[in-house]
Amino acid sequence: MLEFRTQGYNGYSVKYSPFFDSRIAVATSANFGLVGNGRLYVLGLTANGIVAEKWFDTQDSLLDTAWSESHENQILAASGDGSIKLFDISLDQFPIQQWSEHSKEVFSVHWNLVNKETFLSSSWDGTIKMWNPNMPTSLVTLPTHSCTYSAQFSPHSPTLLSAVSSDSHLRIFDLRTPASASNHLVMSIPIHTPPKMRMGAAPAMGLPPSEALTHDWNKYRDTVIATGGVDRIIRTFDIRASGQGPMAVLPGHEYAVRKVSWSPHLADVLLSASYDMTCRVWTDGSAMGAKAEPGNPMAFGGGREMGRMGVHTEFATGVDWCLFGAEGWCASTGWDERVLIWDVRAMMGP
Amino acid sequence: MSQSQQRLAQISSQLSSSVSPPQSARDAILSKNPDDIVITLSMRTALTKARGGALSSTSLEDLLVAILKGVKERSKLDPALLEEIVFGNVLEPRANYISRGATLAAGFPDTTATSIASRWCSSGLLATQAVANQIASNCIDIGLAVGVECMSQNPDDGAPKFGPQISNHPVAKDLTMPMGWTSENLSADYGISREIQDEWAAESSQKAEKAQKAGWVDDEIYAITTTFVDPKTKESKTVVANRDDGVRYGTTKEGLGKIRKAFPQWAPSTTTGGNASQITDGAAALLMMRRSTAEKLGQPIIGKYVASTVAGLPPRIMGAGPTIAVPKLLAKVGLSRDDVDIWEINEAFGSVLVHCVKTLGIDREKVNPRGGAIAIGHPLGCTGARQIVTALSELKRTGKKIAVTSMCVGTGMGMAGLIVSEQ
Repeated sequence: MLEFRTQGYNGYSVKYSPFFDSRIAVATSANFGLVGNGRLYVLGLTANGIVAEKWFDTQDSLLDTAWSESHENQILAASGDGSIKLFDISLDQFPIQQWSEHSKEVFSVHWNLVNKETFLSSSWDGTIKMWNPNMPTSLVTLPTHSCTYSAQFSPHSPTLLSAVSSDSHLRIFDLRTPASASNHLVMSIPIHTPPKMRMGAAPAMGLPPSEALTHDWNKYRDTVIATGGVDRIIRTFDIRASGQGPMAVLPGHEYAVRKVSWSPHLADVLLSASYDMTCRVWTDGSAMGAKAEPGNPMAFGGGREMGRMGVHTEFATGVDWCLFGAEGWCASTGWDERVLIWDVRAMMGP
Repeated sequence: MSQSQQRLAQISSQLSSSVSPPQSARDAILSKNPDDIVITLSMRTALTKARGGALSSTSLEDLLVAILKGVKERSKLDPALLEEIVFGNVLEPRANYISRGATLAAGFPDTTATSIASRWCSSGLLATQAVANQIASNCIDIGLAVGVECMSQNPDDGAPKFGPQISNHPVAKDLTMPMGWTSENLSADYGISREIQDEWAAESSQKAEKAQKAGWVDDEIYAITTTFVDPKTKESKTVVANRDDGVRYGTTKEGLGKIRKAFPQWAPSTTTGGNASQITDGAAALLMMRRSTAEKLGQPIIGKYVASTVAGLPPRIMGAGPTIAVPKLLAKVGLSRDDVDIWEINEAFGSVLVHCVKTLGIDREKVNPRGGAIAIGHPLGCTGARQIVTALSELKRTGKKIAVTSMCVGTGMGMAGLIVSEQ
């Protein structure tokens, strides 16, 4: 396990470069992001451990980051002051572009993986915005009327995007539909809905709605999305059957789930980071021969925890898979001012 | 609020959220969800002796009208909202007519439907299950389960004369035998002595006596004013049925030991009039709806129906029914027997009580804390609902949560149900 200390700054998000297996960006904030500056680190993995190749300081806290999919040196940062900044890591100090349309904290930014020309932002102000880095203003504003912690483009379609919000809903927007009254909204899935009753099984337990903090599109199954949030439960949904409730329910985290991320290598594996200070690796039970976890009455769908990393000593807030090389390497960050690079396989039980 | 305070409030709400997933099956069962099937009213009449008891001259019709009026009065629910009443009854062959008529006569509108649930001693629980299932599957929103039996008016004539198909079948032929025979079979098969049956029967009476004297059962009972005709003098007078009159104060094991054998023709002849359930009249009612409905209407939620199940076994040892129904129920809900606070197990016979409690391996202290059918009587169709009424009242008194109700079922079955108190 490799470690880097973001001295004086608490980690909020970590992302591997889509171009280099040795480059990692970390969005951090002073004073736990409550008040004060932010700093975007660009870290290099070298033979001598992790080194800070560059960092950019910002006026307000930084809550998320996303690498450009089209330009290897460009990277986005989401700021607590409502601004989105685009940095070029070959330059020093200042962003090459900045957008200030959100009226409150920007919680997530995400680059379009298919057309590579647009990116998304989501904010506490109850909107999602789509941008082109060459345009001074946003291209589209999609209202959710609720603090939106996470927005993502589908990795399979350039016009499909999704978001989860504090109102416990997973929303799907399709930009091919006419804007009209629904603002491209094509689906709104209540995350807290219990799984559909099946013959011969005990009825699933219901939970009240709770804030959804994170979600991620499966990289292989183009209709599958995982969500996580304040109710401590990870769920997977198939948007083709949005009325069926979750396909898998994965209980286990002891506090809110802050980040989920599907494996780029295996269709059934995902990583999570939680306020309970652990990062856990799960199978959603869709793989052949998956064994269900006995005992927990909330569990559904045959998924289970496969291992956990408990080295962080404060909230674990961000986790990301390395896209290259041996499958299983990942990076995590947290409020303990640390970035850890580790191999998921070493954390898995027998 | 400053921006940093808002951010702090947001993060602390993500941490301290009241939303916490249940960690065990017990937590899950105790959790409150809008689609839970809840009980908002639980009441019964006094259980009175079929010979000479306060209700012994009251017809099924009059008994039903009285308890249905009681439901209307106590629930304060708009009668038009009650969509169906399911009546658990065993012995009245024309129960369909009488129940529909009594519903209308009690002042419910013609829009309130009625039906009958019948499975011998589990009929009251079967009615409860039927109402719960209808609400759960969204057939109705509000339903009433009633268990009722007038054993003074409807004697149990036993099985009909079967044709050769049944009477020549090695197992089915046993259905012609009286229940007392099944009790003796149980005693013989499992070596249950007369002495232990008398001991446990006396304990049932002592518990009932204590509960009655302490006034614990008062909140179970809805008093009914009715006419009583003295069987000897033929004089009729108005009486108030407000207490279980089968409870024999001062019952001891030694006293019961002197009673003669009820079935000397069947070895080991351990059953007597003293260690078997009494022949009794009575009715019990449970008003049920979804939690969301109850909250909308402002109905008080006193308990929750969780689950129930049934299982079959050879008719010749029908008394062992609970020993297969209870484990099946607990497996379905994922509870262990130690999670259960109170057990209401029908004391059809002393042999049944002893065998079921010992086989299930449950704490005797938790079984029938107010006495059972040996002490207060067993109006067949009523008992299933009556045990829930008793359990809810006792759970309230003791501040406990989970009760299992179970009974053996004539012809070889057992039924068990799980309820949770929310008082």
